[in-house]
Amino acid sequence: MFSLAEAARLSGVIGAFAAAAIVVLAAGLVAGLPAAVTAGLAGLGACWAVSAWTRGPDSPGSTIFVTAAILAAAELAFASLEQATVADEGELVARRLAGIVLRAVGALVLASLLLAALGLNAGGGLVLEAVGVAAAVGLLLLLFTLARDAAR
Amino acid sequence: MTRRSTPKLGAYVALTALGLLGALVFARPELAVLAAPFGLILAVAMAIARPPDVRVSLELDRDRVLEDEEVTLGIELYARDAASRLELLVDVPPWLEVVAGRNPIAIRLETGEERRLELRLRCARWGGFTIRDVHLRARDAAGLTTWERAVEQRLPLRVYPRPEALRELVRPLETQVFAGNRVARQKGEGLEFADLRPFVTGDRIRRINWRASARRGELWVSELYAERNADVIVFLDSFAEARKGRSGTLDQAIRAAASLTERYLALKDRVGLVNFGGVLNWLQPGTGQVQLYRIVEALLNTEVTLSYAWKEIDVLPRRTLPPKALIIALTPLLDDRAVGALLDLRARGFDLVIVEVSPLPFAVAPRGESGELAFQLWQLRREARRLEYERAGAPVVEWRDGEPLTAVLEGVSAFRRHARAVV
Repeated sequence: MFSLAEAARLSGVIGAFAAAAIVVLAAGLVAGLPAAVTAGLAGLGACWAVSAWTRGPDSPGSTIFVTAAILAAAELAFASLEQATVADEGELVARRLAGIVLRAVGALVLASLLLAALGLNAGGGLVLEAVGVAAAVGLLLLLFTLARDAAR
Repeated sequence: MTRRSTPKLGAYVALTALGLLGALVFARPELAVLAAPFGLILAVAMAIARPPDVRVSLELDRDRVLEDEEVTLGIELYARDAASRLELLVDVPPWLEVVAGRNPIAIRLETGEERRLELRLRCARWGGFTIRDVHLRARDAAGLTTWERAVEQRLPLRVYPRPEALRELVRPLETQVFAGNRVARQKGEGLEFADLRPFVTGDRIRRINWRASARRGELWVSELYAERNADVIVFLDSFAEARKGRSGTLDQAIRAAASLTERYLALKDRVGLVNFGGVLNWLQPGTGQVQLYRIVEALLNTEVTLSYAWKEIDVLPRRTLPPKALIIALTPLLDDRAVGALLDLRARGFDLVIVEVSPLPFAVAPRGESGELAFQLWQLRREARRLEYERAGAPVVEWRDGEPLTAVLEGVSAFRRHARAVV
């Protein structure tokens, strides 16, 4: 979706390639093949890279979302592969989902920081501002929690 | 503990490498940004990964149960180090079905946490089982590394065969010399009246039948039947069995053998066991509760073992088959060696009763005309075998899966009422 939305040209090729990557990813999940899952994720990343290339040297605004989305997809895919062999108990499922959400938020923050450090234009807008504020607040909360645990 | 890398680790390494390489080759820093979270997770997870220390112990609420009963397997866990995801698999023997609880299961344990999990197991079949190993697989928080360990436990579980309802047993034709609950044909000390005879010197006064003496004008004494026990040999044919799914002729035969043993021993008879099959074993006749446990334990270890060795009854020690013993054979009549051995026993004058554990409910007629014909011929051959035994004076009763054994044994009594055994 991101790849197609961001593509300035070759959208047909990118769409076909993305569809193929999704099929490979789905097949890997159904058949329990981690290599196929990896290939599917790499394919999705490649689609987005091609779409970014079509836009020229400017970094597309969706970079941080794509980063978080691909990480979340990878985490969910490997979690589902693990569930196929041994199912988690209820409490563990909730913890795992919370962990995936935290990692995705962490990926957002990391991607924002990296883009800022590299001096690239990450797009902008209200949504990104909100994400940035949430990430900063989350980081502060994390630091506070760690400091409190250390004091104990 | 054995440390292993998960497929996720390989995938994350590959994605990180591809992203960074792509960034270099195509001069697109966004690709490096895309790969960065994967690389960061790899670095952090590998840096903090350490094997968890988890102690496991198992316990069963009972170690002796009857078939179809349930036992609770308790799994005690104690984590000295936290395990963010611990997969636990108990090596449960195939005839023990998990009816409550999950096996395998993935749980999380905090440092110092003690936890008890329970598995409810249904004992679907008799036998001696051992719950051996608990397999543990711990993953780090990111799921990139696993540590595997098998904790060896040895929990024995004896599952005794479900008893068959038996109202009446087959009466042995002959009794032995020891005291018991059976009215013997011989006269002696006992309770059952046998006959009257004139008083002779040496007769005990309490034996005098005063009513008969008054009528005849001289002293007459009552004669009584002696009360003796009998020798019963349970002959189990374990050369072959017919099986469909979870039930088979051997299972039926074992249940019947255990039930018959218990009932005959309760009547103070001496009971022995001959397990005639690929693995030959026997127990000399004995009485009491100890003998019951001996026989049942021997039955629990019974299984069909493929053997081409021709075995005859001569291989058994003489004392295993005492003279005048009642031999109850539990056989599917599938193997010629057992069929021949039973005819041999009858020819040697033993009181033989054959309970044919019918393989027909477990057999399926092959398709096609020739298949059906072969099936009919096989059934006719079995019928001919039965007639051969009956001609030799040994009753054969067919016991099909689901029928009560007591009704089947009634057929033996009916045969004996109408036929005379040639001994």
